[in-house]
This record gives sequence, C-alpha cells and structure tokens, in this order.
Amino acid sequence: MEKGTLLYEGKAKKVYQTNNDDIVWIEYKDSATAFNGEKKASIAGKGRLNNEITSLLFSKLQALGIDSHFIKKLSATEQLVKKVEIIPLETVVRNFSAGSFAKRLGVEEGAKLARPIVEFYYKDDALGDPLLIEDHIEILQLANSDEVAILKEKALQVNTVLSELFKELGIRLVDFKLEFGKDENGNILLADEISPDTCRLWDDKTNEKLDKDVFRRDLGNLTDAYETILARLRRPISMYKVKVFVTLRESVLDPQGTVVKNSLHSLNYSEVSDVRIGKYMELTIDKSDRPVDEVVKDMCERLLANVVIEDYRYEIEEAVAQ
Amino acid sequence: MKFAVIVFPGSNCDVDMYHAVKDELGAEVEYVWHDRKSLDKFDGILLPGGFSYGDYLRSGAIARFSNVMKEVVKAAEAGKPVLGVCNGFQILLEAGLLPGAMKRNESLKFICRSVELQVENNKTMFSSAYESNEVITIPIAHGEGNYYCDEETLAKLKANNQIVFTYSGSNPNGSLADIAGIINEKGNVLGMMPHPERAVDELLGGADGLKLFQSIVKQWREAHVVNA
Repeated sequence: MEKGTLLYEGKAKKVYQTNNDDIVWIEYKDSATAFNGEKKASIAGKGRLNNEITSLLFSKLQALGIDSHFIKKLSATEQLVKKVEIIPLETVVRNFSAGSFAKRLGVEEGAKLARPIVEFYYKDDALGDPLLIEDHIEILQLANSDEVAILKEKALQVNTVLSELFKELGIRLVDFKLEFGKDENGNILLADEISPDTCRLWDDKTNEKLDKDVFRRDLGNLTDAYETILARLRRPISMYKVKVFVTLRESVLDPQGTVVKNSLHSLNYSEVSDVRIGKYMELTIDKSDRPVDEVVKDMCERLLANVVIEDYRYEIEEAVAQ
Repeated sequence: MKFAVIVFPGSNCDVDMYHAVKDELGAEVEYVWHDRKSLDKFDGILLPGGFSYGDYLRSGAIARFSNVMKEVVKAAEAGKPVLGVCNGFQILLEAGLLPGAMKRNESLKFICRSVELQVENNKTMFSSAYESNEVITIPIAHGEGNYYCDEETLAKLKANNQIVFTYSGSNPNGSLADIAGIINEKGNVLGMMPHPERAVDELLGGADGLKLFQSIVKQWREAHVVNA
C-alpha cells in the first residue's frame, strides 16, 4: 500500500489517498483543539496516543462483532481505513451527566442517567456544531429516519461494549462521540476515532478525568492522562480481588453482636444501637470464561454463606498479575 | 443390621458412637472414612460429633462437600436411618437433609453437661422405645447448638411432628422452640445436639440414650427380618 496525495486535513488528522480507491491512509496529528477551535495547542505524543488507543478500541470492537472502517494500524501515528463518506453528524452517547448536557439542562456533573441517551450534533464548525433534533436532521437531509434509527442502535451497541470494557479497566465511560460514514454500497459504518479526545473517561475510584477535559479545563498533563488510558487498555486483566462480607440476617438475633453492643454501652458508647458481627473473606480469583460475578455469587450461595441465617455481599476489583 | 460411623478429619465422638453400637447395642458397626464412595453395604448411617474440618467457616460447612456425604444423601433418599449427633446434626443442616441452621449458643459459651430432654414424638424409627413425653437425661457438649429456622419452617416442623426432642425445663443454648432434635419429613433422618451415645451405660451416669439405638434396630428388624 502506498501513501498518495493529501485528500483532507482536519483539526486532528490528515487523510491521504492510497493506490486503492477504497482505502485511505490516516495520520494522527499532535494538535489539540477545544471549544470549536478557540483553544489550540500542539502536544507532542498526542497523535501517537490517539492512534494507538483508537486502533486498540476498533480492534476490540471488531472482535466483539462491531464493524468499523478500521483496517489496520500502520505505525505509531498512522492507520489504514476503508474510505467512507462521513455523515455530517456527531452521534453522542451519554451515561452520566457532563459537559454541555450538564450545563444546558442543569443536571449535576457526574450524575448517572436513568438510561444511556443518544444526541446528535451538526458537524459544522461555522455554526459551532449545534445540537439537532431528529426533525432537523431530516429537514436538512443529513440522514433519513431509518438511518437515524441505525445510528442510534449502533451507538448504543458500541456503548454497551465500551462501557463494559472500560469498567473492567477501572474507568467510567461518562459519554462519547462517534462519527459514521457510508461505504460505496451505502452501508453505514462506524468511522473516525474513539479516543480520550472523543470520550469522557473518569477513573472509577478517584473520578480523575483521563480525557480531553484535562486540556479543556487545564487540569494537568494531557499526555499523562492519555498514557494512563493506553496503559490500562494494553494491560490484560488476569485476576480479581474479591471481598466477601457475611453477616447474620437482620431477622436473626446475633448473640455475639448483642454481647458486644452491651459491652460498648458499658463503655459509655450509648449511641450504639446495633452491632452485627460477621465474617470478612478475601478471595483472589483467576479470570476465566465464567463471569466473575456469577462465580462469586455461586460460591457465596453454596459455601461461603449459609443463606438460611446469613446475608452476604461482595466487592469485586480487577487486578493484574504482577 | 450394620451401622457405619462416618469419620471426618476432626470428628471426636466417633469412638463413643462405635462403642455404643458395638458393645452396648450389640450390633455390627464399622468406621467409614469421609472419602468413601459407597455406603451400600450399610443399613444405618451415624454421623458423630466433633469438629469436622476444625469447624472452619461454619460447623459442618466443609464436611457436607466430602465424598461420603453424597452417599449419605443417597442413603437418606433410600430410606435408611441416618442419625446426626451434634456436629453430625450441623452437617445434616448444611447438607440440606434437615431444615434450618445452627447459631452460636446464646451464652456464647461451650456447654458440657447433662440435660433433660422431653420425647415429643415417639412415633419415629429413632424414638419408638421411649414413652410419649418421657423425660430423659442425655449429655450435651457444644458451642453452636442454638437451632434456628424461619417461622414458616417452624410451623411445618410442628405440623408434621418433626420435633422429636425438646429441652425440658431450661433451654441451655437459646434454640428456637427449645428444639434439641428434629427429623425429616420422611422420618428417616434425625439430627440432635445431645449425645445419646454418651448415655448408654449406667456406669457412665445413665443409659437413656440406648433406647434410641434400640429403636432403630427394632424398626429395621420389623422391616427386614419379619419372616426370619
């Protein structure tokens, strides 16, 4: 495959022709832009990070049955993709409130939405990428209603897969933007990129932002955040640390708890109204074909707790073998 | 009639059980290690007291998954008499052969003394040699004998006459409805916290437990040797 002439240069990528009419050569740039181009910077390494992350995510999606324009990664900053005609819509999926949604609707940032929602924005820099309702899309002939339905369905599919994938890496997929294109047969195909430039990714525990908001809001070093995402994507989860808590059921009198409560009262902790004594277990479980959640539940029901008199709960943490 | 005394790592009343059956009852008996894969040749199964697997996790929780327990379940399903005493009772509960569960004694203390029991149901294969409502003296020795089940289960136990023994007078461990021993619906699996095998000789302070074993043999003879 040979790199041909430059077809198009955008804010983040250059697109070159190849000697195959159906395939184009993408080069990721080191530039960062935000607020519709008002804030700009050149950040060394960003092109590489977005190319690596996008390549990994598109590969994982393909492995899970979600096709895209992605063909293969060529180098640290380049990839080959199928040539598509980009539909001028940004398809946004939101799982948690953030960004323009939080601002426009006054929903506190970080609040979990009752279900994932899909929004469309008009890809038009001059207009500032405005939010569209479906009638707008139809009347502007950006896509017909069948196509809008397909975009929604595909976007939600991608969301299911990516949310789960990031969750396993200890990352919350807050929201993300997708772009779709049409191939020569008119089939709608996932295109563009999926990277911290196009996703809001928060650390599940610390809520640390690991995406372009770091740049938008000057929260620190952008490449550090993107490196974190890349490192976690590359690191295969090999085991889980599971904490199991077993206590006597609420309805069952706990003789030990009662004695301890009385003892605390005699030490003047009169505010203690109840004590339940239970067991705490730490399990290390290797990753297997069976969903870990199912495995743990099964173990609790069969052995770790006696459900006649005991309740259990557990916490599962992903871990990587050292 | 041939009895099996199941031995788990940590069983410690197995010798008493063996002695009671062989020397006092005069029946055939064998020790059976927990990894045994068949109990076909035995007519009665005895799960003795002790601390199987160190009582780790919960009393009886580990023992119930041993090889021999699959066979004990089979024997129970086949209608053979299965008696679980103390830890044996706890194992039967964990295995689901009897309903309910065991909590720590209300006093949190290990209690080792003789107690009075009332025979609530003498129409079982384990209690037919006793009089109805007879009060007998049998030793207990446990830290977790505080029987518990939900109200629905208790109502069922009462309705089906599944409560065979209750503590008479004072309840030593806080068990629900003074329960000391219960039987399954089918009537061939008995679990009890008191130790009948420790009360089989007047020299040892009483022989009230012997009738329990004699009941088992009597029932078996009636069923099997009737034409002999």
